[in-house]
Formats: sequence, C-alpha cells, structure tokens
Amino acid sequence: MKRRVRIAGLGASLPGLRLLHRGSRARAVEAGRRCLAAARRRPAEVGLLIHAGVTRDHHVCEPANAVFIQHRLGINVEFQGARTLSFDLVNGGCGMLDAAHIVCALLQEGEPRCGMVTASEGNADWRAKGGRPCPDSGAAVLLELAPRVQTGFGSFAFLLRSEHADMDVTLVSLAEARGRLQVQRDPGLEERWLEMAGPVVDDVLARDGLDRGQVDRVVAAQISSGFLARLPQAIALPTERIANFSGDLPATLSTSVFLALQREWTLRPPVAGQIVLLLAFGSGLAAAAAVYRC
Amino acid sequence: MSMVQKVRIESLGAYLPDKVLTMEELLASCRRRPPWDLERITGIRQRREAVGEYAVDLAVQAARRALTLSRYPAAELDVVVCASISKHNGENEFHLEPATAARIARAVGAGAARAFDVVNACAGMLTGIHVLQGLIRAGAARCGMVVAGEHNMPVARTAARELRHRFDGQMAALTLGDGGAAVVLDASPDSASGFHCLDLVSGARHDHYCYSRPSRRGPGGILVTKAHGLQRKGNEHFPAYLKEILDRSGWTLDDLDHIVPHQVSVRAIENSARAVERYVGVPLPPITRVSADGYANTSTTSHFLALHRFILEGTIRPGDNLLLVSGASGIVISHATYTFDDLPDRYRKLWTPGASLEEA
Repeated sequence: MKRRVRIAGLGASLPGLRLLHRGSRARAVEAGRRCLAAARRRPAEVGLLIHAGVTRDHHVCEPANAVFIQHRLGINVEFQGARTLSFDLVNGGCGMLDAAHIVCALLQEGEPRCGMVTASEGNADWRAKGGRPCPDSGAAVLLELAPRVQTGFGSFAFLLRSEHADMDVTLVSLAEARGRLQVQRDPGLEERWLEMAGPVVDDVLARDGLDRGQVDRVVAAQISSGFLARLPQAIALPTERIANFSGDLPATLSTSVFLALQREWTLRPPVAGQIVLLLAFGSGLAAAAAVYRC
Repeated sequence: MSMVQKVRIESLGAYLPDKVLTMEELLASCRRRPPWDLERITGIRQRREAVGEYAVDLAVQAARRALTLSRYPAAELDVVVCASISKHNGENEFHLEPATAARIARAVGAGAARAFDVVNACAGMLTGIHVLQGLIRAGAARCGMVVAGEHNMPVARTAARELRHRFDGQMAALTLGDGGAAVVLDASPDSASGFHCLDLVSGARHDHYCYSRPSRRGPGGILVTKAHGLQRKGNEHFPAYLKEILDRSGWTLDDLDHIVPHQVSVRAIENSARAVERYVGVPLPPITRVSADGYANTSTTSHFLALHRFILEGTIRPGDNLLLVSGASGIVISHATYTFDDLPDRYRKLWTPGASLEEA
C-alpha cells in the first residue's frame, strides 16, 4: 500500500491591498514564505515546486513563473548541491488540485521528499477588457509523505467538459503594445460547474470507497455566494458541512480552494480522522475533487 | 539500474507546416537588417512557418498523427498534457485559459481525459513526460499524451520589425521556427525499452537570461535572450548532469547510439558538444543528431521533430539507446536516457514517402 501524502503547511496572501506585495509573483512568494514558516521547513528541503497561477506579471510567458518564485524563495537556486525542479501547471481554477495530485504521485514514487504547490493571481494590467479576472491573492501548500498511514490525501478525481471550453476564456491581446488582458466569461458558467459537481464528487468518493455520510467538511472554491448556496443540492450534501466564506473571501480563481482551506483550518482546526472533500472548478470546463483525511 | 516501472513512447507524431522560410528571406524582411551572417553563425538555413494555422492547430495536427500510429484510440487517453510555450491560439492572441490541452482533447476526441498545460520553456515536453511518467507509475493513468504546438514565427516577425542594432536582445528570435509534436506514453511491456532516467533541474538564479513577453513598442510578442550568457552558464553545468544520468542509467558514452540535444542552433550544439568533451576528457562519438539546420529552433517540440527526421531517414532504429539533452530558459537543465522498442520501424512504415495521413 502506497504511503499517503499530507499537507505539511499552508500559506496565504489574502485578497486586499498590499503595498509591498503587488502582482502575481509577489503574492506567490508571500504565500510561499508563510507556508514554509507554518510547516517549519527550510527552503532547501523543497525538491519540487509547481506554480498553478493563471495571470502573470507583465504577461511574461517564458520562463516558467515557478522559476522566479523559486529564486525569490531561495529554494536551491544554484546547480550545486540540493536540486529543485520548478515548472508551471495551468488549468484555471483546478490548477492547484492538479498540481497537488502530481506532487503526490511523484512523492509516492520516491522523488522528491517534499514538494510545494503555489498559485497566485494579480495583474498590473488595469486596462483589462471584460473586467479584471479576480482580486490579487496567493496560496501555497507544502506536501510531504505522511508519517501515519491513515492521514493525508486519498483519491483525486478530475472531470473535463471540453465542449464548453469557450465559455471561460482569458487571453492577452497582442494587438497593442504591452498586451491587454481580455476576459470572456459566459453567464451560464456557474450552472455548468454545478452540473459537473455531482459527478466529480461521485467519482472521488467511489475511488476512495466512501459514502457521503463519511464526509465531514466540504471545502470548495469560493466562486460566489449564489454558487455556494446551490452547491449542497448539486452534490447531495447538507449545507452545514460546506465551508462558505463567500462573505469575505471573494472568488480568486486558482488560489481559491487552498485559501478557503486555510481559512477553514484557522477557524476550525482539523480533528484527527476528519474527512475533508476539496472541490475546484475552472475553465476547460474542468472540475476537480480530492479526499483529505486529517 | 532501478527496477521501477519503465514508461515508453508508445507513439510519436510530428507536424511541420508546408511553408519553408529561408534565413535569407527572414533577414530580408528585417526593417534594419543585422550585419551578421546569421546563417553561417547559427547553421540554420531555413524553418517552417505556419500560415493560417495557430499554435493549437499545430498541436492538434501532431496529436492526430500520434494517434494514427498509437494502439490507443483518443477516447482511451487518461491524460492530455500540453507543453506549448507560444500559445498564439488566434491572431495576435496569447491564451492563458482554458488550458490549451482542453482544446486539443476536444479536437481529437479525448473525452475521458483530464487535461492541463505544463509550462517550462523549451524543457516543456520533457517536463510533461516527467509528469505523465509519474502519473503512470503511480497508477493514476494508464496512458496519456504530451503534445505541443509552437507558433514561434510571430515572435520572429516582431524581432524583424523591432531589431535596432547588432547586439539587440531580440536577435535570437530570428532562429525560431514553427512545428508541432506529440507523444503517447504508456507503461513499457518489458524492462529493456523505455525511459531509464529522466532528470530535470532548475537553476533559478539564472532566470534572467531569456524571457518572452508582449512588446513594449508595438503589437506582438518578443523573445529577449542573452544568448552567450545562457549558453555559457548552461555549458558550465550540464556536462556534469549528463555524466550523472549516464552513471545512473548504467551507461557510458559508448552505449549511446544517438544524442539528441535541444535544437537551439547548429553552432550552439557544437559548442555544447565541446563542453562535454572538455568535461569527460574524451572526444564524443559522432552521434549528435542535429535538425536545426532545416527546422530551426522549434522550442519545446525540437527533440521530437529531430526524432521524426532521423527515424524517417533510417538513422534511428529499434533497440537504439538515446540521450535527450535540453537547456532551457530558467535555466532548466534536463536529460533523459531512453531505449527504443519497435517504434522507429512502425513510424517509418506509416510515414514512408507517399503515405498520407488519410491513407494511414
């Protein structure tokens, strides 16, 4: 039986005005530093860094944002000594769960010992067409092999409805100097995500051999208060089990699930044996779910 | 050697646009023509340029070709990973989301697959293979595709418009070309063929040598490269990793049949080969495969377009041992050791001259 992978630390750069931490990269670095501090780990211990944010400072598309974040976090920046692989994984709002799944798979295969997933959103493009995609934020999670058999991530499930890929598009128009962010969101997006929520929850619970009664908490992307109000019916779970911070935690795209998890565990520290269901939704259209045993 | 499950390239697909653009034609289009003889300096004679096709189209074409050869129908793919850098998926558009992989999955009919993009500069496809290999070994996927379509020529055209002087940072953009490549991966049925080692490392202190972003002077994207610094730093470090991966694979240079480097330019590859020779203290056998002369630098697809060329030419055969080497902006140094199964024969049989995709 493969060892589970657990969350060793969470870090957040919450939405709100920051004078010193403006932009996507700075948010990821702030969250990453807090994550390392919360986990009491040294930067050198991180052997894998995946960044799952969508927006990029100055729309830089090469090299990977993760490399800049690795540099600023001081994670094995030279080729001598301990080594780190950094890269970006882009999958809209589901990116962090995708990346967490990949880190779990690589940790279980023995490489590396410790992996970090970061995500951040923030853009200096104040002229964005179609509105700014979301407020600036950052999130980071440090993952490592769990010291106990029953704790950590269980199954992951992913669902893609690519026939709806054009409902949620973010692009940089290169028709003018410096580029211009364009956001195109179909008003029916939340409806499609709600349709996907039930099947992806069915899938992940079946993979883990769980029934709905065993799920203690559901931490979902805080897409909107209306979305979270309708989610219980969509996934056939009671409202009181679903973490709803939509009053003070706006939709933050790729960072949303782990910001909500950090808020959840701050308000209600995890209890041993508790089963948490993580749910994310994104462009593609994609839905992702993961079971986590505290 | 470790006894972990090996993952193999079950199928390969490559796509090159029809239009051939010579270095002379590209230089002639420059507003201020560089004084250098770039064809002599880089060894790049020509490249392909996509006309009326975008990055996602190049990737889809390559994906379809890979599926033509694969025993897996698209509907059985568990994962689609897109590793393109140049997500020019529309005229003057660089797409951030949805993942280009989702569009590719839709186009090829991979309805059951999860899809996401991996971005790691020119090491993107090797990074995607590393990720997919991890998912296959962990039992989270049975088979999947890593695909990229690089529509780089808009960046080269921006450079042609904006070059101001002989040491302009955009000069290296004139070495780019377009192309698409895809591989289908699954668990190797035997312990002899497949990836033996795949090693990637990011030296983030050197993140400033090469970057791409929208131009500040007009429309289009730009690629700014400190080419000498990037190459010097890469050559300083990668030979040690090359030696290490050979050691981990239980190989020596004599076991290699082919070295396929990232196709930056012919001269850059020659310089890198000399750096390896200095490190190991012996001359390299003449097994370095270079396709940059005809295809130029097609970013993350370059290794696989080189495989396409040398398999079709009959240079690469079943059972051959291969070393893939890449230095990418970041700086990311990557190496992979690989032994072919019967893929070269199957590939040649399908894509012999005269055989079209439709016939296949």
